[in-house]
Amino acid sequence: MSAVYITKSQLGERSQPRYDGSVIHLRVPGTLRYRDLAVRVVGAACKLVGTPEESTGPIRNTAWDNEVVSAFGEAFNNAAIHSYDGRKPGDVEIEVEVGITAITIRIIDYGNSFALDDVPVPDLEALPESGLGLYIIRSFMDEVKYAAGTPNVLSMTKYVDPGRRQVPEPVDRISDSSGGDGRQ
Amino acid sequence: MNFNREDNGDVTVLRISGSLDALSTPELRPTIDALVAEKRPSITVDLSDLRLIDSSGVGAIVSLYKRMRALGAKVEVVGLKDQPLAIFRLLRLDRIFSV
Repeated sequence: MSAVYITKSQLGERSQPRYDGSVIHLRVPGTLRYRDLAVRVVGAACKLVGTPEESTGPIRNTAWDNEVVSAFGEAFNNAAIHSYDGRKPGDVEIEVEVGITAITIRIIDYGNSFALDDVPVPDLEALPESGLGLYIIRSFMDEVKYAAGTPNVLSMTKYVDPGRRQVPEPVDRISDSSGGDGRQ
Repeated sequence: MNFNREDNGDVTVLRISGSLDALSTPELRPTIDALVAEKRPSITVDLSDLRLIDSSGVGAIVSLYKRMRALGAKVEVVGLKDQPLAIFRLLRLDRIFSV
Protein backbone atom coordinates (compact mmCIF):
# COMPACT_ATOMS: atom_id res chain seq x y z
CA MET A 1 0.00 0.00 0.00
CA SER A 2 1.26 3.44 -0.85
CA ALA A 3 2.02 5.90 1.90
CA VAL A 4 0.87 9.49 1.99
CA TYR A 5 3.50 12.00 2.87
CA ILE A 6 4.09 15.68 2.51
CA THR A 7 7.51 17.23 2.45
CA LYS A 8 8.70 20.73 1.83
CA SER A 9 12.07 21.54 0.34
CA GLN A 10 13.78 24.63 -0.87
CA LEU A 11 14.08 25.11 -4.62
CA GLY A 12 17.22 23.71 -6.11
CA GLU A 13 18.36 23.45 -9.72
CA ARG A 14 14.81 23.76 -11.06
CA SER A 15 14.39 27.25 -9.66
CA GLN A 16 12.98 29.72 -12.16
CA PRO A 17 13.57 33.46 -12.00
CA ARG A 18 9.99 34.28 -11.10
CA TYR A 19 9.96 31.86 -8.21
CA ASP A 20 11.41 32.72 -4.90
CA GLY A 21 9.74 30.21 -2.67
CA SER A 22 9.53 26.53 -2.07
CA VAL A 23 8.27 23.38 -3.67
CA ILE A 24 5.64 21.41 -1.82
CA HIS A 25 5.64 17.69 -2.57
CA LEU A 26 2.64 15.43 -2.06
CA ARG A 27 2.39 11.78 -3.06
CA VAL A 28 -0.89 9.92 -2.75
CA PRO A 29 -2.40 6.76 -4.18
CA GLY A 30 -4.01 7.52 -7.53
CA THR A 31 -7.60 7.06 -6.44
CA LEU A 32 -10.41 9.53 -5.89
CA ARG A 33 -10.36 8.77 -2.19
CA TYR A 34 -7.34 11.07 -1.89
CA ARG A 35 -8.79 13.84 -4.06
CA ASP A 36 -10.05 15.99 -1.22
CA LEU A 37 -6.74 15.78 0.62
CA ALA A 38 -4.81 16.85 -2.47
CA VAL A 39 -7.25 19.67 -3.25
CA ARG A 40 -6.93 21.01 0.27
CA VAL A 41 -3.14 21.04 0.04
CA VAL A 42 -3.26 22.99 -3.21
CA GLY A 43 -5.82 25.38 -1.77
CA ALA A 44 -3.56 26.07 1.18
CA ALA A 45 -0.57 26.51 -1.13
CA CYS A 46 -2.45 29.20 -3.07
CA LYS A 47 -2.42 31.34 0.02
CA LEU A 48 1.39 31.33 0.00
CA VAL A 49 1.66 32.89 -3.46
CA GLY A 50 3.00 36.42 -3.52
CA THR A 51 5.38 38.26 -1.30
CA PRO A 52 5.39 37.30 2.37
CA GLU A 53 3.46 40.46 3.15
CA GLU A 54 0.83 39.74 0.51
CA SER A 55 0.46 36.07 1.26
CA THR A 56 -0.13 36.58 4.95
CA GLY A 57 -2.12 39.78 4.73
CA PRO A 58 -5.87 40.16 5.07
CA ILE A 59 -6.51 40.74 1.36
CA ARG A 60 -6.68 37.47 -0.53
CA ASN A 61 -7.97 37.00 -4.05
CA THR A 62 -10.28 34.09 -3.38
CA ALA A 63 -11.44 34.05 -7.01
CA TRP A 64 -7.85 33.36 -8.08
CA ASP A 65 -7.56 30.58 -5.51
CA ASN A 66 -10.88 29.09 -6.64
CA GLU A 67 -9.68 28.90 -10.22
CA VAL A 68 -6.45 27.13 -9.27
CA VAL A 69 -8.30 24.67 -7.03
CA SER A 70 -10.87 24.01 -9.77
CA ALA A 71 -8.20 23.30 -12.36
CA PHE A 72 -6.21 21.10 -10.03
CA GLY A 73 -9.28 19.08 -9.05
CA GLU A 74 -9.94 18.28 -12.69
CA ALA A 75 -6.31 17.32 -13.25
CA PHE A 76 -6.38 15.00 -10.26
CA ASN A 77 -9.63 13.45 -11.52
CA ASN A 78 -8.01 12.71 -14.86
CA ALA A 79 -4.97 11.13 -13.25
CA ALA A 80 -7.03 8.99 -10.89
CA ILE A 81 -9.76 7.99 -13.34
CA HIS A 82 -7.95 7.70 -16.65
CA SER A 83 -4.26 7.23 -16.05
CA TYR A 84 -4.68 4.01 -14.11
CA ASP A 85 -7.78 2.84 -15.96
CA GLY A 86 -7.39 -0.83 -16.80
CA ARG A 87 -4.22 -1.29 -14.81
CA LYS A 88 -3.10 -1.56 -11.22
CA PRO A 89 -3.53 1.83 -9.51
CA GLY A 90 -0.31 3.67 -8.89
CA ASP A 91 0.59 6.86 -7.12
CA VAL A 92 0.00 10.44 -8.13
CA GLU A 93 2.77 12.84 -7.26
CA ILE A 94 1.99 16.50 -6.91
CA GLU A 95 4.53 19.29 -6.91
CA VAL A 96 3.39 22.77 -6.09
CA GLU A 97 5.88 25.50 -6.89
CA VAL A 98 4.89 28.61 -4.97
CA GLY A 99 6.19 31.89 -6.26
CA ILE A 100 5.89 35.61 -5.96
CA THR A 101 4.24 36.04 -9.34
CA ALA A 102 2.76 32.61 -10.04
CA ILE A 103 1.96 29.13 -8.92
CA THR A 104 2.97 26.05 -10.90
CA ILE A 105 1.47 22.65 -10.18
CA ARG A 106 2.81 19.43 -11.65
CA ILE A 107 0.69 16.27 -11.53
CA ILE A 108 2.81 13.21 -12.16
CA ASP A 109 1.49 9.71 -12.79
CA TYR A 110 2.89 6.43 -14.07
CA GLY A 111 -0.16 5.24 -16.00
CA ASN A 112 -1.75 5.71 -19.41
CA SER A 113 -0.74 8.68 -21.51
CA PHE A 114 -2.91 10.87 -23.70
CA ALA A 115 -2.48 13.57 -26.34
CA LEU A 116 -3.39 16.93 -24.84
CA ASP A 117 -3.92 18.58 -28.21
CA ASP A 118 -6.30 15.83 -29.35
CA VAL A 119 -8.84 16.48 -26.60
CA PRO A 120 -11.68 18.43 -28.21
CA VAL A 121 -12.97 21.73 -26.88
CA PRO A 122 -16.53 21.15 -25.65
CA ASP A 123 -19.59 22.59 -27.30
CA LEU A 124 -21.06 24.46 -24.36
CA GLU A 125 -24.24 25.30 -26.26
CA ALA A 126 -25.08 21.60 -26.28
CA LEU A 127 -24.94 21.44 -22.46
CA PRO A 128 -22.41 18.60 -22.28
CA GLU A 129 -22.51 16.37 -19.22
CA SER A 130 -18.88 15.28 -19.58
CA GLY A 131 -15.71 16.24 -21.38
CA LEU A 132 -15.31 19.49 -19.45
CA GLY A 133 -12.25 18.81 -17.31
CA LEU A 134 -9.50 19.94 -19.64
CA TYR A 135 -11.58 22.92 -20.72
CA ILE A 136 -11.75 24.01 -17.10
CA ILE A 137 -8.01 23.48 -16.69
CA ARG A 138 -7.13 25.43 -19.82
CA SER A 139 -9.56 28.22 -19.01
CA PHE A 140 -8.48 28.81 -15.43
CA MET A 141 -4.72 28.31 -15.84
CA ASP A 142 -2.42 30.46 -17.95
CA GLU A 143 -0.04 27.75 -19.14
CA VAL A 144 -0.79 24.04 -19.49
CA LYS A 145 1.77 21.54 -20.72
CA TYR A 146 1.76 17.77 -20.86
CA ALA A 147 4.70 15.45 -21.30
CA ALA A 148 3.73 11.86 -21.98
CA GLY A 149 6.02 9.12 -20.80
CA THR A 150 7.05 7.33 -17.67
CA PRO A 151 6.03 9.30 -15.81
CA ASN A 152 3.40 11.48 -17.44
CA VAL A 153 3.70 15.07 -16.27
CA LEU A 154 0.91 17.64 -16.52
CA SER A 155 2.27 21.06 -15.65
CA MET A 156 0.07 24.08 -15.22
CA THR A 157 0.90 27.63 -14.20
CA LYS A 158 -1.25 30.53 -13.13
CA TYR A 159 0.11 34.03 -12.80
CA VAL A 160 -1.01 36.55 -10.27
CA ASP A 161 -1.32 39.01 -13.15
CA PRO A 162 -4.55 37.92 -14.87
CA GLY A 163 -3.59 39.63 -18.12
CA ARG A 164 -1.74 36.55 -19.30
CA ARG A 165 -4.83 34.34 -19.41
CA GLN A 166 -5.88 32.84 -22.73
CA VAL A 167 -9.32 31.24 -22.58
CA PRO A 168 -9.97 28.70 -25.35
CA GLU A 169 -13.07 29.45 -27.37
CA PRO A 170 -15.75 26.76 -27.31
CA VAL A 171 -16.61 25.28 -30.68
CA ASP A 172 -19.98 25.79 -32.34
CA ARG A 173 -20.59 22.14 -32.91
CA ILE A 174 -19.89 18.83 -31.28
CA SER A 175 -16.60 17.33 -32.34
CA ASP A 176 -16.42 13.61 -33.02
CA SER A 177 -12.76 13.46 -32.10
CA SER A 178 -12.03 10.62 -29.73
CA GLY A 179 -9.75 12.68 -27.50
CA GLY A 180 -7.19 9.99 -26.83
CA ASP A 181 -8.16 7.76 -23.94
CA GLY A 182 -11.42 9.55 -23.25
CA ARG A 183 -9.86 11.99 -20.85
CA GLN A 184 -11.99 15.02 -20.04
CA MET B 1 -21.11 15.85 0.36
CA ASN B 2 -24.54 15.79 1.95
CA PHE B 3 -27.87 16.24 0.31
CA ASN B 4 -31.52 16.08 1.17
CA ARG B 5 -34.76 16.19 -0.74
CA GLU B 6 -37.87 17.99 0.42
CA ASP B 7 -41.21 17.82 -1.39
CA ASN B 8 -43.75 20.59 -0.92
CA GLY B 9 -46.68 19.92 -3.22
CA ASP B 10 -45.43 20.11 -6.78
CA VAL B 11 -42.15 21.67 -5.76
CA THR B 12 -39.11 19.61 -4.78
CA VAL B 13 -36.12 21.28 -3.14
CA LEU B 14 -32.83 19.39 -3.48
CA ARG B 15 -30.21 20.81 -1.13
CA ILE B 16 -26.59 19.81 -1.74
CA SER B 17 -23.76 20.81 0.58
CA GLY B 18 -20.04 20.20 0.86
CA SER B 19 -18.15 19.00 -2.19
CA LEU B 20 -19.91 17.60 -5.24
CA ASP B 21 -17.09 15.93 -7.13
CA ALA B 22 -16.06 12.79 -8.96
CA LEU B 23 -16.00 10.84 -5.71
CA SER B 24 -19.32 11.99 -4.27
CA THR B 25 -21.46 12.54 -7.37
CA PRO B 26 -22.36 8.83 -7.78
CA GLU B 27 -24.14 9.06 -4.42
CA LEU B 28 -26.48 11.67 -5.90
CA ARG B 29 -27.35 9.80 -9.08
CA PRO B 30 -30.08 7.55 -7.59
CA THR B 31 -31.91 10.60 -6.24
CA ILE B 32 -31.74 12.27 -9.65
CA ASP B 33 -33.07 9.10 -11.25
CA ALA B 34 -35.93 9.03 -8.74
CA LEU B 35 -36.89 12.66 -9.45
CA VAL B 36 -37.01 11.89 -13.15
CA ALA B 37 -38.96 8.67 -12.64
CA GLU B 38 -41.51 10.50 -10.49
CA LYS B 39 -41.80 13.28 -13.08
CA ARG B 40 -41.69 15.99 -10.46
CA PRO B 41 -43.03 19.20 -12.05
CA SER B 42 -40.71 21.71 -10.38
CA ILE B 43 -37.27 21.21 -8.86
CA THR B 44 -35.16 23.77 -7.06
CA VAL B 45 -31.52 22.79 -6.57
CA ASP B 46 -30.26 24.74 -3.57
CA LEU B 47 -26.47 25.05 -3.62
CA SER B 48 -26.18 27.66 -0.86
CA ASP B 49 -23.95 25.38 1.20
CA LEU B 50 -21.99 23.86 -1.65
CA ARG B 51 -18.29 24.50 -1.11
CA LEU B 52 -16.77 22.89 -4.21
CA ILE B 53 -17.99 21.40 -7.46
CA ASP B 54 -16.12 19.75 -10.33
CA SER B 55 -17.09 18.75 -13.84
CA SER B 56 -18.60 15.50 -12.58
CA GLY B 57 -20.93 17.38 -10.26
CA VAL B 58 -21.85 19.84 -12.98
CA GLY B 59 -22.58 16.90 -15.26
CA ALA B 60 -25.05 15.50 -12.75
CA ILE B 61 -26.93 18.78 -12.42
CA VAL B 62 -26.98 19.31 -16.18
CA SER B 63 -28.25 15.76 -16.58
CA LEU B 64 -31.07 16.49 -14.14
CA TYR B 65 -31.91 19.68 -16.03
CA LYS B 66 -31.95 18.04 -19.46
CA ARG B 67 -33.97 15.02 -18.38
CA MET B 68 -36.55 17.08 -16.51
CA ARG B 69 -36.80 19.62 -19.30
CA ALA B 70 -37.59 16.76 -21.70
CA LEU B 71 -40.52 15.95 -19.41
CA GLY B 72 -41.71 19.53 -19.45
CA ALA B 73 -40.65 20.14 -15.86
CA LYS B 74 -38.94 23.21 -14.43
CA VAL B 75 -35.47 23.11 -12.85
CA GLU B 76 -33.78 26.06 -11.21
CA VAL B 77 -30.50 26.41 -9.36
CA VAL B 78 -30.23 28.84 -6.47
CA GLY B 79 -27.60 29.86 -3.95
CA LEU B 80 -24.50 29.63 -6.13
CA LYS B 81 -21.45 31.48 -4.84
CA ASP B 82 -17.65 31.34 -4.79
CA GLN B 83 -16.05 28.37 -6.58
CA PRO B 84 -19.29 26.75 -7.78
CA LEU B 85 -20.45 30.08 -9.21
CA ALA B 86 -17.13 30.50 -11.04
CA ILE B 87 -17.54 27.06 -12.61
CA PHE B 88 -21.15 27.70 -13.66
CA ARG B 89 -20.17 31.01 -15.23
CA LEU B 90 -17.19 29.51 -17.07
CA LEU B 91 -19.40 26.77 -18.51
CA ARG B 92 -22.04 29.36 -19.43
CA LEU B 93 -24.64 27.69 -17.28
CA ASP B 94 -25.59 31.02 -15.79
CA ARG B 95 -27.64 31.65 -18.94
CA ILE B 96 -29.61 28.45 -18.26
CA PHE B 97 -30.13 28.77 -14.56
CA SER B 98 -30.19 32.57 -14.23
CA VAL B 99 -27.70 32.49 -11.36
